[in-house]
Amino acid sequence: MSQFEGNFDDFGMDTISLAGPLEAKLAAIREAGFSQVMLAARDLVGHADGWQAAVAAVRASGLRVTGFQVLRDFEGLSGHLHEYKVDIAKSMLEMCHALDCRLLLACSSTSVHASSEADALVGDLRKLAMLAIPMNIKIAYEALSWGRTINEYPQAWDIVAQADMPNLGLGFDSFHMFATNTPLDELELIDPRKLFLVQLADFMWNEIKSVEERMATARHFRVFPGEGVHSQDLAALVLKLHQLGYRGDYSFEVFNDDYQQIPLPTVAQRARRSALWLGESVLRRSVPLPNRIRLKQRVRV
Amino acid sequence: MSPRQATAAERESVDEGPNPLGLDGIEFIEYATSKPQALGQVLERMGFRPISRHRSREVLLYRQGDINVIVNAHSSGSALTEQPVINAIALRVRDAGAAYRRALERGAWAVPARVEVMELNIPAIHGAGTSRIYLVDRYREFSIYDVDFTPIPTVDPHPPAVAGLHFFGIVQYIGNDRTEDWNEFYATLFGFQAVPDAQRFGILPKGRILQSPCDGFFLQLIEPEPGVLDIDDDECLQRIGLGAPDVPAATEALRARGVEFVAVVGDPAELRGALTRTAMGSVTFELVHNLRAA
Repeated sequence: MSQFEGNFDDFGMDTISLAGPLEAKLAAIREAGFSQVMLAARDLVGHADGWQAAVAAVRASGLRVTGFQVLRDFEGLSGHLHEYKVDIAKSMLEMCHALDCRLLLACSSTSVHASSEADALVGDLRKLAMLAIPMNIKIAYEALSWGRTINEYPQAWDIVAQADMPNLGLGFDSFHMFATNTPLDELELIDPRKLFLVQLADFMWNEIKSVEERMATARHFRVFPGEGVHSQDLAALVLKLHQLGYRGDYSFEVFNDDYQQIPLPTVAQRARRSALWLGESVLRRSVPLPNRIRLKQRVRV
Repeated sequence: MSPRQATAAERESVDEGPNPLGLDGIEFIEYATSKPQALGQVLERMGFRPISRHRSREVLLYRQGDINVIVNAHSSGSALTEQPVINAIALRVRDAGAAYRRALERGAWAVPARVEVMELNIPAIHGAGTSRIYLVDRYREFSIYDVDFTPIPTVDPHPPAVAGLHFFGIVQYIGNDRTEDWNEFYATLFGFQAVPDAQRFGILPKGRILQSPCDGFFLQLIEPEPGVLDIDDDECLQRIGLGAPDVPAATEALRARGVEFVAVVGDPAELRGALTRTAMGSVTFELVHNLRAA
């Protein structure tokens, strides 16, 4: 692997694709040439030496933290449920802040206790964004395809636009878009500056028939872009986003039970192949980019 | 689940007006330092006088005119630094409890109170960096200092201000691309509004200036110079702006007291602003031409 190969600094892996302890995941991601990693709260609180040790391990890895996930079922609750979720959100924000991470992912509520009223959702997301301001954290709001009220990205965008907070934007997951067959053209309505994160994943079947199958696929059978049957759609999506002016991060949101039982470097190499395909074949970047200062990518410790 | 009382907001939407909290200026600004006496000297050169001491902590109140500055040398949890930092602003509001609850409802972080017996529990929320924002409603008939502070004997509790100095505002340093965030913070929680870019005061014609809904003072948000990327964590309340009806007279009076100025703006005969030389590595005051509205 030459230092001139691999122009994919804006692509990152997600720890949920890998098994094992946090340090091993970070090392594998780093070894495969990635410069950023998407972390889950579990990575921190599940660390054998406590969450501060996990924060130290992340800092020591030199990897940039793409984002921190995931705050669930936050919006639309009232009374004591709302108070409870605000406390959870604060804990998530504190961990995110400790990581120097600037992005918290919040996904649309699946709770039957949550209101469906747009005003309530907007008000709660404004509050969440306000909580994040002193900590310099942005909130990426993502439509889960099995969300109760918000389950397609155009709906999530409506809520984000109505909330109108500078640090509240859209988190976009290709899986959910493909699962609900939401048209790509709807992306044109979105302000690319308010698109805070794009998560990419492919999967192996052409069609998902039920919501149950959708959840099972999302949680167990995703693969890296280029490995499934939606590669051409993914390529079209990435090109479209680039065309619209999106220059933020892409993270591989790949939940896969098989990847959980094969060696970490093997999985990381698959992710690398995927990043190379998107960066060099799809986006046709020259390597290295002209006029760009490059540090050597791999630092042997 | 018990039936919930419907709030008025669920029945009708009533516009809160431009000043929802009844904001009415700054009650005090607080510095924290492990060198309170050195900071005291700096403040005394600026015309402040020590007025009273806190009953239970190493905290002193300095005053001139109606500007109150508190020097806090009581280390509570976090270690104090020698370099003073502005660690709190106290805002005067109509009803501190109501203002506090309103702020929390909108997503402010509560600062847990640490009060001793018979002391006032002044509600506070987190502000920029490590600073906090207190909400005070006792400033007319009697003041918070009557309860928590003991007057220093023989000292005039109301020393006049040098050359008509009064609070004008606070300069806040913020991270890259953070102007909109902080603008939203102060607008949503307190009703501040951005003034047009063409309108500028004082020495620095940059950043975003927010005006308090009581028209009593300003906040100036300043991002790093373009191209400076790695200091964006350093967000803080950087300096106090003092209004002076006659800036040349004020700089002269302060120079006579030993204050040095590093930057003055405008024709010498008609100065618009001036900045004092930084003392103790961090303390500086900006003078701004301002005829007090009150």
